[in-house]
Amino acid sequence: MTSETPILEARNVSRTYRMGRVDVPVLKGVDLTVAPGEFLAVLGASGSGKSTMLHLLGGLDRPDRPANGTEGVFFRGRNLSGMSSSEINTYRNLQVGFVFQFYHLLPELDVLENVLIGGMIRHGRFGFGRRKSELHDAAAELLKSLGLGHRLRHKATALSGGERQRVAIARALINHPPALLADEPTGNLDRETGMRILDAMATIREQMNQTIVMVTHDPSIAERADRIVRLTDGVLVTEALEASNT
Amino acid sequence: MYQALLTRRYLTSRVMPLLAALAVMLCTAMVLIVWSVMSGFLGMLLDSGRTLMGDAAITWPVAGIPYYEDLMDRLEARPEIAATTPTLETLGLIGLPDGSPEIWTLIGVDGPSYDRVTSYAETLWWKPIDKPLPKDRDREDLRLRLSNQYYDEGLALTEQDLETGDEKAAVVPGIWATGYNRRDIGGWTNARFRFMPDAELTISVLPISQRGAAIDVAARRFPIANEFQSGLYEVDANTALIRLDALQEMLDMNAADRVEAFDPFAVEIDEEGNETFVQPKAVGVEPARVTTVMIRAADGVTPQVARDVAEDVYEEFAAVQGMEVPDPQFVRIYTWEQRDGVRTFIAAVKKELALTVALFGFISLTAVFLVFAIFWSMVSDKIKDIGILRAMGASKPGVAWIFIRYGAAIGVVGSILGGLAAWLIVSNINPIHDWLGTAFGLTVWDPEIYYFPQIPNKVDPIAALLVMGGGVLFSVIGAIAPAIKAARMDPVRSLRFE
Repeated sequence: MTSETPILEARNVSRTYRMGRVDVPVLKGVDLTVAPGEFLAVLGASGSGKSTMLHLLGGLDRPDRPANGTEGVFFRGRNLSGMSSSEINTYRNLQVGFVFQFYHLLPELDVLENVLIGGMIRHGRFGFGRRKSELHDAAAELLKSLGLGHRLRHKATALSGGERQRVAIARALINHPPALLADEPTGNLDRETGMRILDAMATIREQMNQTIVMVTHDPSIAERADRIVRLTDGVLVTEALEASNT
Repeated sequence: MYQALLTRRYLTSRVMPLLAALAVMLCTAMVLIVWSVMSGFLGMLLDSGRTLMGDAAITWPVAGIPYYEDLMDRLEARPEIAATTPTLETLGLIGLPDGSPEIWTLIGVDGPSYDRVTSYAETLWWKPIDKPLPKDRDREDLRLRLSNQYYDEGLALTEQDLETGDEKAAVVPGIWATGYNRRDIGGWTNARFRFMPDAELTISVLPISQRGAAIDVAARRFPIANEFQSGLYEVDANTALIRLDALQEMLDMNAADRVEAFDPFAVEIDEEGNETFVQPKAVGVEPARVTTVMIRAADGVTPQVARDVAEDVYEEFAAVQGMEVPDPQFVRIYTWEQRDGVRTFIAAVKKELALTVALFGFISLTAVFLVFAIFWSMVSDKIKDIGILRAMGASKPGVAWIFIRYGAAIGVVGSILGGLAAWLIVSNINPIHDWLGTAFGLTVWDPEIYYFPQIPNKVDPIAALLVMGGGVLFSVIGAIAPAIKAARMDPVRSLRFE
């Protein structure tokens, strides 16, 4: 694998949902390439298929049956459609991290536990038991770097929107995934808080050379990315690179 | 690991699972209480039956077994046999002190040896209470004022005439036989109309010849030495114990001279010319007979083993005694449980116990549906959490395990609490019952129906483990379908669920 090999790639990806008796095509033969360390924004209006695109890249959903093995979603050259259920679970756990618009934290758990859940899934009961202290320290450090060091034992429900999203980012990064997939990460926040979240993501990207794919409907948010692609009615249109962000 | 964390948090942060645990607790407690009381009832029946009959017996009704002392010696020489006692059983017509007639089973016993085989002394009712409880004093139990005299006389089935000092054979009827004793709401027994140990009974029996023909009726009055309570109502209401030698005498089954055949009208004239009937010439002794030899097995020996040993010994005994004793092929040798009437009665109670536990167990299946309904609703409530976990790499079995584990946790909590509640209730069931009787006049455990004055109040640890294990199993079963539903959820739809 060379450094030129895309970390994520969609080749002629289509996705159709069935609504009652009607087939609704959401993605229509999308081609997309994400380079390692790249911050890519997928811009599109509501219903354009951008979240579906993100779910396909993250292995949460599968594209329509590809015509041949060269079509589909690829991670470092490997087609996700060829992975077993167990491999897909491992892929979601280790290779990608999700950040959602509505944070999706587990309300019964405190901040630290929410972040550690990914580690628990990764290592299992005994593996986590052996690394408990090490993982606790890593999660605490991650949260501290996101400005939440004083909130470790607070319940997720006691946090503000911005704090919750920062916890979600920490949770997505706990297993050091090569790719961070963010679905409207600022969509539920006021502008100032949203900008702080983007600042945090930019810092992470700079410090960790983190690949980020972010979908958004807001062009001003998308401007923070290295590259913007636009999804319109399930078809992808590549736009100019924003020089100010490189 | 994450399943354990989420189970713990779900369990302590929501009301619904606590309600499910409460349902499991109630079902566990209900089944365990019913099982404990019913199996305790069966255990008391078995103990009572064994108390009266020993472990095994050799029986030859009507004609009886001669040379039974030899048979007993041979039995007691075997290490498997701890003790033996002879008894003689017949039906008798009883004249009560008020003149009313009754028909009872009469059992002639030798008090001391009968006690060694059957713990007879423990069944004697009129004896001083060793350690009276406050409730015994409160109800003015007659036994608090008794001396040991009644106990001693009951054990020996003998009453001493205070004026002449002569000893007379006495009778000990079952506590419910005369109808003069009553239980009150608390289950206490007392002499309601007459204190029977101060009374006399008239007993009439019909001796039967060895060929089965009736001989003249024999009637005699007996003082009542005491009354016994075995615990088996059928026995206590229809049986009287009587001193063995007295009954043998009345039934012509005591030892007597054996005479040669003679002409009853033959006369002889002595030297002075007086005519007298010719007296038969004694040619031996006709041995005394009993209808049953009861056997108590040595410690650690089962009644069945004692019965098998008795069969061997009887064959040896018959080989020595020859034609005078009943043929080993026909004599009846059985354990106490195999005795006619007892076997069917105990089998019926066992079936009743199994049926009751099964019925209550079936009712407890409602807990499965309750857990199912609560979990189904919880899975619907947790759809988003399931999507989040799947997005973070949790597998389908991993998600299912959260809910199965959760069901098991609810089962464990509910079962432990249910077991504890059952233990508390069963241990205090008699005070609770007394309180219900005093406060509301409720008599759930009617001693006239259930034979025993006290409700069984022990929880069998094995039964407790089985019922509690069942509670956990039922909870897991109730959680399986919701767990499968959760595992099969599409993560994208879960995340988009509003």
